[in-house]
Parts: sequence; C-alpha cells; structure tokens
Amino acid sequence: MSNFVVNESTVILALETSCDETAASVVMGGNDVLSSIVSSQIEIHARFGGVVPEVASRAHMEALIPVMQSAITEAGILPSRIDAVAATAGPGLIGALLVGVSAAKSLALVWDKPFIGVNHLEAHLYAGLLDDPTLQFPLVVLLVSGGHTMIIEMRGHGDYTVLGRTIDDAAGEAYDKVARYLDLGYPGGPVIDRIASQGNAEAIDFPRPMEHDGLNVSFSGLKTSVINYVKKNPDVANVDVAASFQAAVVDVLCTKTIRAAQQIGAKGIVLGGGVSANSLLRAQMSERGAAAGFKVALPSRAMCTDNAAMIAAAAWHRLGADGPSSLSCGAYPNLKLDAVPR
Amino acid sequence: MILGIETSVEHVGVALGDYRGVRAHSMLASDRRHAESLTPMIQFVMQQAEVEMSDLSAVAVDVGPGLFTGMRVGIAAAQSIAWALELPMIPVCSLDVVAMNAHWSESVVAASLDARRGEVYWALYRMRGLGVEPQRITEPVVSSPEDLAVHLADRGEEIVCVGSGFDRHQEVFQALQWAQFLGASGSYPLATHLVTLAGQRLAADDTVVPGAVEPMYLRAPDAEINWQTRGAAS
Ligand SMILES: [Zn+2]
Repeated sequence: MSNFVVNESTVILALETSCDETAASVVMGGNDVLSSIVSSQIEIHARFGGVVPEVASRAHMEALIPVMQSAITEAGILPSRIDAVAATAGPGLIGALLVGVSAAKSLALVWDKPFIGVNHLEAHLYAGLLDDPTLQFPLVVLLVSGGHTMIIEMRGHGDYTVLGRTIDDAAGEAYDKVARYLDLGYPGGPVIDRIASQGNAEAIDFPRPMEHDGLNVSFSGLKTSVINYVKKNPDVANVDVAASFQAAVVDVLCTKTIRAAQQIGAKGIVLGGGVSANSLLRAQMSERGAAAGFKVALPSRAMCTDNAAMIAAAAWHRLGADGPSSLSCGAYPNLKLDAVPR
Repeated sequence: MILGIETSVEHVGVALGDYRGVRAHSMLASDRRHAESLTPMIQFVMQQAEVEMSDLSAVAVDVGPGLFTGMRVGIAAAQSIAWALELPMIPVCSLDVVAMNAHWSESVVAASLDARRGEVYWALYRMRGLGVEPQRITEPVVSSPEDLAVHLADRGEEIVCVGSGFDRHQEVFQALQWAQFLGASGSYPLATHLVTLAGQRLAADDTVVPGAVEPMYLRAPDAEINWQTRGAAS
C-alpha cells in the first residue's frame, strides 16, 4: 500500500501524448477539472488517411510546451501548487508516448514531486466517473476508439476484467476503412455519423457479425460486406450505405454491452473512447440500456476522446493505491488494461 | 551552472558545467532506452555534484541530427526542465558536439553521424580550440556516404574525420587521401563537450526560450516523402 496522502486537495498535472492529441490537464482531488487542454493533430494526419507515428511524434514536440503552459494558466494556479505529475505510459505509439513520459518525469524531478505513469485504457474508464461521480460499481464500460473495442467489467478502482473485445478491427478502424472506401475523408467516424443522419438505416441489411455469440465482436467481415455491396451496387447512395453500416455497428455494440451488463449484474453502463462520441451509439445505448433497466452514463464528447483530465483522474487513484511510479519508467506501447506502469 | 542533456545517438549523457569547465558528468551506452535512463541520470549527476535545481542557470540540449526518438526524449526533458525553472535554453547541433572530439585539430574537421538507411549526417568545421565553438564551413546535411567521400576528396586538403558515420561506412572512405580517422574514441557526441559549448553561448547571451527549441531532423517523415512523391506523380 502507498503511504502517499492523496485527498480532495491533491492537485495533479497530467500529460497525454499516446496517439494524435497532445493534452495537458490540471485536476484537483481526482475529479475537479481545473483545466483540460487538447491540441488535436487530426488535420495534420487527414491527408495521410490515418495517424502516421513519426508525424504524430513531431507534432507532439511542437505542441508540448504551449499545451502545458495553457493548462497551468487556465487552471489559475502556480506551478508550486502541483502535488504530482502524471503521463500516459501506454498503450499507444512508442515515439509519441515517450514525449509525454519524458516531459512529465522531468517536471516531477524539478519540482521534487511524485511521478505517475498511467495506463491509457484505465484512464478511459475514469473519464466516465469524472463526468458522473454518482456511478456505482460494478460497471460495464464499453471502450470504443480507433485503436480499441473492449467491453470491460469494472468492479472497483483498479479492478477490471475484459469481458469482450474485437477479434479483428477496432470499431473506429472499421469506420475509417469504410469512409476511405466511400471516399468520404478522414477521420471516418464523424463524417459517417454526419451523413448517416440523411440516409436510410434500413436500406441495406448488413450482417451483425457474431451477434449471438459471446461478448467478443468482429468488424472485419462487416467492412468487407460493405465494400462488396458497393461494388455490386455502384449506384447506391453513400448516405444509405453510411446509415446502414452505422446501424449494424451500433446494433452489435449495444447488444453485446447490455448482455455483458446483464451477465455481471452491473449497476450501470458507461461509454468511453472516441467512437462513443457517435450520436447513434449514444442514442441507442441510452434507450436500449434504460429499457433493460440500466443506468447509462454518456460522458461529454470531450471526455470520450483522448484528453489529459482522465489521465489525472486515473493517476489520483493510482497514487493513492500504489504510490508513485519510478523515474526510470518508460513507455509501453502494448500495455494491457490491468498492467500498472512502474 | 548549465545542465547538458545528450540523447541524439544510442548513448545517454548528462553533464553539469559552466565557462570554467565541467563539474560532473555521466554516460551510459544505453541500447536506446533513453527515456528510462535519462531522468534518473540527471538526478544522480546533480546529487553527486551537489547542485540544486535552483543553482541551474540554463539547460543545453543536443537537438540532432540523430535518432529521432532519442532526440525527442532529450529535448522534451530539457524543455520541461527549463520551462518549469523559467531558464533559458541552448540548443546545440549534434555534429558541432561530435566535431569537438577533434578540438585540437589544425586541419579541417569532418563530423559525421550514422543516419541509418545507408546515409550519413555531416558538416565540416574549422576548430578553434577546446571550449570555443567550432566554425562551420558547411551546414549540416544528410547524404550518401559516397557523396560525402567525393566532397572530401574534392577539397584536396588534409581532413580529420570524426564520428560514427565514418566508422559505419569505413569501406567508402578508406581510399581517401589526406584523411585521418579518429575512430571509436571520437564516434559520439559527448555531454561534456555539449556543456562546454553551451557555456560559451550562454556567456554570449546566445540563448532561446524553451518553446523555441526544435529538433533538427534533416529528413522528412517517410509518409511525408511518399505523399509528396505521389502528389508530384499524379
Ligand atoms: Zn484513447
């Protein structure tokens, strides 16, 4: 156990640089967000049709100091008020992660404060709790992003079981690939979400892969059937393809998540990750989750996508439970959900 | 007191010093685990030298060219330290630092670092002694070792060759007349030389704010190169 005193007045500065957002945040007491600055690289990567690791690392370097400065300024505190410094240590792009880890460890050294290396996946679970502190365990968290699709049982702080995951593409990846095929641009999630609202979701009956089969999901076959359908029916309207594809993805995600919640007797369902900003997923999960008797928490869109406030929140719990990480902590690109960076 | 951070090649180095010389330094051939080693090494060197954070007057860092990931680890650390302590920074080119391994040379010095993919980073210098910034004859570039060899041969004068670029491509350079190779003792930029050079720059008030420090890549990301080639072709 840790002998670090962590309480409502503990102020943590956290950095997040695991993928294509450079973010810094100051959070007090694990849930009072004093500032949360996010500098997105989406436009930089758009022309490549996906996140390019070397391009991302370079962009993190450019944004690092301005983003940290804004987080301190906006929080309205003096740096001397900071009690601990945290950074995402994994999973993510190694070169990108190293920028944040190196910076955060240096700040911890200069200020003589503890450093906490944070698991990015764990932090996504805390994003939901940040927006709704009344949530009670056990929870089922659907974590859906460009890199992850996981259905997680959260029994308490630091106590997780992965109940289901994608066996191939992440949900966000499937969106990007379909959007690229339809020539809709990048990133695929927001653009498909936007045009789907103008289409007929029942126009095409795309398969719901593995719908009746456990809690794992698969999107690769769905993506292929979208491509095959468009090849055979070149005159089909993009809006209808987008609406029908999105309906299939959301249907599978809701079915599996609610099934998981029923299996473990969850007290609530929480969404997390970039794809949980999707409007149909939010609407369907609220409606179907509520119908099944679950409290459904939909974090704000800013909390769903990568940010540093959730890193600070996770760090606050970790510091209290396990104490600080070592200053020889590195970056762990394939970190598993239940692994704690030391 | 200047803190110097050197992570542009496989090694990790930290030094403390000022215009009077180097106070303390440490070096690790780290197998590229820069991030793991750097922070504890800074802590160790400062403790051993009994230097407090408040004793620092500037932070110097090797900004490359070199290993992209290593450079970024060092620059992110140096920037953060300088930012937190509100100190000026002194960015130093890796080739300037490696040239200092031949600070005694009265001939032209060619400094070159392995750039991988069959290429080398290089620049030419005239040395002005230890503790004085070498004078650049050519600006840092990346090229094939063959191009560098041709350039050196064309100069037709005695040249001292220093850095891992020459070690890595020995076969390309061995035919060069008038060339003297420093070999393994001069392969890498040293944090001690970095701090020595930075001392001169600080004395001359030649510093920048942390946000203005940029890595010297000399090479665009592959995706960028491919994208431009594709754009030009279509
Ligand atoms: Zn994420």
